[in-house]
Amino acid sequence: MLLLFFILPLLYMVWLSFHDGMPPASLTLENYLNVVTTDLYLRVVWRTTVLTVQTTALVVVLGYTLAYSMARFSKRTTLLLLLVILPFWTNYIVRMYALINIFSRDGLLDWMQLVTGLAQEPSGIMYTHTAVLLGLTYVWLPLATLPFYASLTNMDDNLIEAAKDLGAGPIETFFTVTLPMTKNGVIGGIILVAIPTFGAFVTPTLLGGTDQLMIGMVIENQFTEAFNWPFGSALSVIVSAFVVLMLLIAVKFGAGDVVTRRSDTQ
Amino acid sequence: MIPNTIERFVDRRGRTIGLGLMWVVIALLWIPIGIVTLMSFAADRALAFPPDELTLHWYREFLQNDAAIDAVFTSLQVSVIATLITVVLATILSYAIAKYEFPGKGMIQLVVTLPIIVPLVVVGVAMVLFFGVINVGTGFWSVVIAHVVRTIPFAALIIIPTMLRFDETLEEAAKDLGADELDVFVNVRLPNILPGIVAGGLLAFTISFNEFVYTYFVRDTRTETLPIYLWNQIRFEASPEVNVISVVFLLVAIGMILLALAITNVQRITMR
Repeated sequence: MLLLFFILPLLYMVWLSFHDGMPPASLTLENYLNVVTTDLYLRVVWRTTVLTVQTTALVVVLGYTLAYSMARFSKRTTLLLLLVILPFWTNYIVRMYALINIFSRDGLLDWMQLVTGLAQEPSGIMYTHTAVLLGLTYVWLPLATLPFYASLTNMDDNLIEAAKDLGAGPIETFFTVTLPMTKNGVIGGIILVAIPTFGAFVTPTLLGGTDQLMIGMVIENQFTEAFNWPFGSALSVIVSAFVVLMLLIAVKFGAGDVVTRRSDTQ
Repeated sequence: MIPNTIERFVDRRGRTIGLGLMWVVIALLWIPIGIVTLMSFAADRALAFPPDELTLHWYREFLQNDAAIDAVFTSLQVSVIATLITVVLATILSYAIAKYEFPGKGMIQLVVTLPIIVPLVVVGVAMVLFFGVINVGTGFWSVVIAHVVRTIPFAALIIIPTMLRFDETLEEAAKDLGADELDVFVNVRLPNILPGIVAGGLLAFTISFNEFVYTYFVRDTRTETLPIYLWNQIRFEASPEVNVISVVFLLVAIGMILLALAITNVQRITMR
């Protein structure tokens, strides 16, 4: 079933991306050349890359902090895990709409800025780069926290004690012992965030609009409005290439396990 | 080197700061959800915060809106059918993995997890292309197939470990006592793995009920699930009713997860 409705469609898509129209049409590399020679598409790929890097960085910092405190300082971890994962299991579009409530003109963010005197005029941050970045971070934070947390709890706490006994302060211990020991969890988390962010289309559509085009939006547009399916396929292949690249990185750093065993996106 | 004063400060205050930051992050995760819930009671049409007046008006509006209620029923139909298919297929798959050796068994882990990893847009467009080629077309059943593809990995990843933990000697014992293959499966194996199957099914249902991206690509205009309806509302209407639908989704999601937790355990859902 998966083979039939998952693998075959992907293979067909790759095949189609080398055609200049719906088959039977001639084979061509034109779709790929189109991406690398058109200014608009290059800018879209660049923006997508920047947003992916920024989102991943934010998620790693926030998620690792969260996971660290859960693993080291807390006792009621079951409840905390639930508090982290429940927002993740609520509908993706609902979470986006929640952020629209907050980001739009006269929304919560504006209200807070007015109350604290940070801003005089309500303006909202909808359709900005910041809105998309915060949206993507909000969506993927819980997901990345889980591998961070798992690697932190699997780590041998005695190592930390040993480092402290040898005179290392908590910060030094963190950077020389804890962080290297949980490297696999960190890489796993990075991959779980970077891949879906690179292919995002719902978040940038709802929070960014046409000012913040990402690859996923262009792909969607090729299939629902422009009807240039071979070109859309070529873009999808580019996204898939990114996925393969990230997975290879994971395997190279020995974190492949984290990706195949961890199992929930979006 | 980090100055000693900072190290000492972190040593003394690290725990407090860490816990403080943890609660801040958790609060940030929940504030948007709280806001949606609050705004669903706001009387005003615009999304102005804080709301001037609280009302149940938009809930009544939602219940009287045929298009919205139709979408709820379409969603339920798709999700129930897709969940049943998924649970049966995932159970067969895990049974095969637990009992038999076959070529390509080692690849299964990867094939099962790939749909989870590959971005939804990519699979969505690949499926709509493929459905066109094999003449399935788009409509109710293409949506169901898409949902099965989406949910099988999640269900399988819960059911496979349950199946592997099953004590095979129980089956031997039943056979020695004269039970045939089917008898053994229904009366011995099934009761033992049922919690895993039910948990997998609940998870599959939740994911299916929330599924948007695949559906968006493989549906026809008549097949409108609740997430699709929500999307159209947000993009083209933005009535406060959207907040109400959001609350419906929240309740369904939280209810399903708590139900799944009651049957299995947190680790199974969050750690696998």
